[in-house]
Amino acid sequence: MNVTAEPRAPAGEDPAAAWRHPAPVAADRDAAYLSLRHARKVYQTRTGDVEAVGMANLDIAAGEFVSILGPSGCGKSTLLSMVGGLETVTEGEIWIEGAQVTGPRRDFGYIFQDPTLLPWKSVLDNVLFPIRTQKRPVADYEAEAHRLLERVGLGEFKAKRPRELSGGMRQRVALCRGLINDPRLMLMDEPFSALDAISRDDMNLALVRLWDSYHKTALFVTHSIREAVFLADRVLVMTARPSRIVADLRLPFARPRDVTVQDTPEFNRICAWLRDQIQAGYGRAAPGTGG
Amino acid sequence: MQTATVVNAPAGAALAPADPGGSAAAASRRANLLLLRRLALPVLAAALVLAVWEVGTRWAQVPEVLLPPPSAVVDRLVNAFPLLMKHAWPTIWQSLAGFAIATVLGISLATLLSASTIIRETLYPNVVFFQLIPKIALAPLFVVWFGLGPEARLSFSVFVSFFPVVIATLAGLDNVERDLLRLCRALTASNWQTFVSVRLPHAMPYIFSGMKIASTFAIIGVIVGEFITSRAGLGYLILFASAQAETALILAAISVLCVFGLAFYGVVALCERWTIERFGDRPR
Ligand SMILES: Nc1ncnc2c1ncn2[C@@H]1O[C@H](COP(=O)(O)OP(=O)(O)O)[C@@H](O)[C@H]1O
Ligand SMILES: [Mg+2]
Repeated sequence: MNVTAEPRAPAGEDPAAAWRHPAPVAADRDAAYLSLRHARKVYQTRTGDVEAVGMANLDIAAGEFVSILGPSGCGKSTLLSMVGGLETVTEGEIWIEGAQVTGPRRDFGYIFQDPTLLPWKSVLDNVLFPIRTQKRPVADYEAEAHRLLERVGLGEFKAKRPRELSGGMRQRVALCRGLINDPRLMLMDEPFSALDAISRDDMNLALVRLWDSYHKTALFVTHSIREAVFLADRVLVMTARPSRIVADLRLPFARPRDVTVQDTPEFNRICAWLRDQIQAGYGRAAPGTGG
Repeated sequence: MQTATVVNAPAGAALAPADPGGSAAAASRRANLLLLRRLALPVLAAALVLAVWEVGTRWAQVPEVLLPPPSAVVDRLVNAFPLLMKHAWPTIWQSLAGFAIATVLGISLATLLSASTIIRETLYPNVVFFQLIPKIALAPLFVVWFGLGPEARLSFSVFVSFFPVVIATLAGLDNVERDLLRLCRALTASNWQTFVSVRLPHAMPYIFSGMKIASTFAIIGVIVGEFITSRAGLGYLILFASAQAETALILAAISVLCVFGLAFYGVVALCERWTIERFGDRPR
């Protein structure tokens, strides 16, 4: 992936020009909350090296909710894992608040595609799992766990076991678990991809409602353009490998965000523009693969 | 009118589960019937075999040394009861102790194997190799090493029942969802924390299924040991009775062994059910 200052300049009028994010400033590492500097990841596999992420340059401000859009296999998960310290960086650096990322940190929150709950623990205990694991005082976080569960509509289900919950409800528990230790950075890797459309809309709304009051920096990977735009303050579009970022948009929608924002012409115009960018990315990648 | 149908449909649908008390009663009656059938059929089959055996041996006048009728076995069971209990005791405590030691050792070794790649690479192929050799053939060695006392039988029982626990436990510790381990890593959990809070609970049903096998193996180990060298125990009694051509006593001793084996297995199987209920991810 290459985040370069070079914007893709579509011929003719560019409806997104007004929202286009300024190019990352190379010396801005200390000002940004999160900075990637030439971060690169190469997996060594039996069949040869796979360059999952190539030279990522990126600055993200504190409190920004950033959606990352891109086709499967373009390195989104790898990028997230590197930021989260779950994968090492082959080359380059990742900085958070002036410190280089060397491993997972206690002030990160993660949500994966699967809820990955502990089946033998109650919903409440699952939410408190990070607290126990990180040896924080449980008593200090119990009230927050109850509050989070109430807010995502699981107030009645605190004592239930995960297997008694639907897929959407389980992912809500995972959401609460990701937020319980009051993380500075939320890393969400296609958290709603496995859900049906109705649960997914539900989850999007729950997340947006949470973000009305939680101003956390977040990286949110998704395949859904509308989801990306509805949730985020900023959207990055990645192309297939060898991937690079072809669009970096700052969205004009305020918070607290209303559901009806999705019905505005502006929202739909942005979505259409993003779709064009993604298709253009496919077009760009096609000659290399198709021969 | 269209709206009318739309309104009516859910109302009609809502009618179906009415009278919940009645349907719940019906469901429990059905469950009872099912249980009765699952219990009654095998019991009936066994009773039939016993009846044929009883009638057959009497009708054909099979000598009691060859095959006594069940009634003769029951007679022997009753009048030799104190003798049977006297010999049952060492077999029972050695089986239980062998099983307990095998379980502790098995879980410990599996933990070690799952904790360290180098230990696993060194030991696991050997564990599998030992698992494959016919262990009964090694029984006389235990007499050579541990003498004629209960130690020989106990250690052989441990040896026989230890492998299923190791293999099942290791499978349980290893089979944890990769994402759960990733979550632990993301939360900066230590290896020990991951073991205690994720791997071990996940392995619980596996451990008990290994223990279920171990419970029968532990008894086999003790009986084989008693066959080889012993002056007490049900294995010894069976050998002794066979030397005396007391076939009814052999069968009586085997009956006692069966009752003990069944009870032992049953308790462990119940524990397994409970662990699946408690630690599994879907209700049974
Ligand atoms: N652990 C790994 N070992 C080898 N190759 C990997 C590994 N993880 C991902 N890859 C490869 O790296 C590329 C990017 O994967 P990933 O980051 O999962 O993409 P995405 O999340 O965008 O679908 C893919 O081609 C994938 O096959
Ligand atoms: Mg992915």
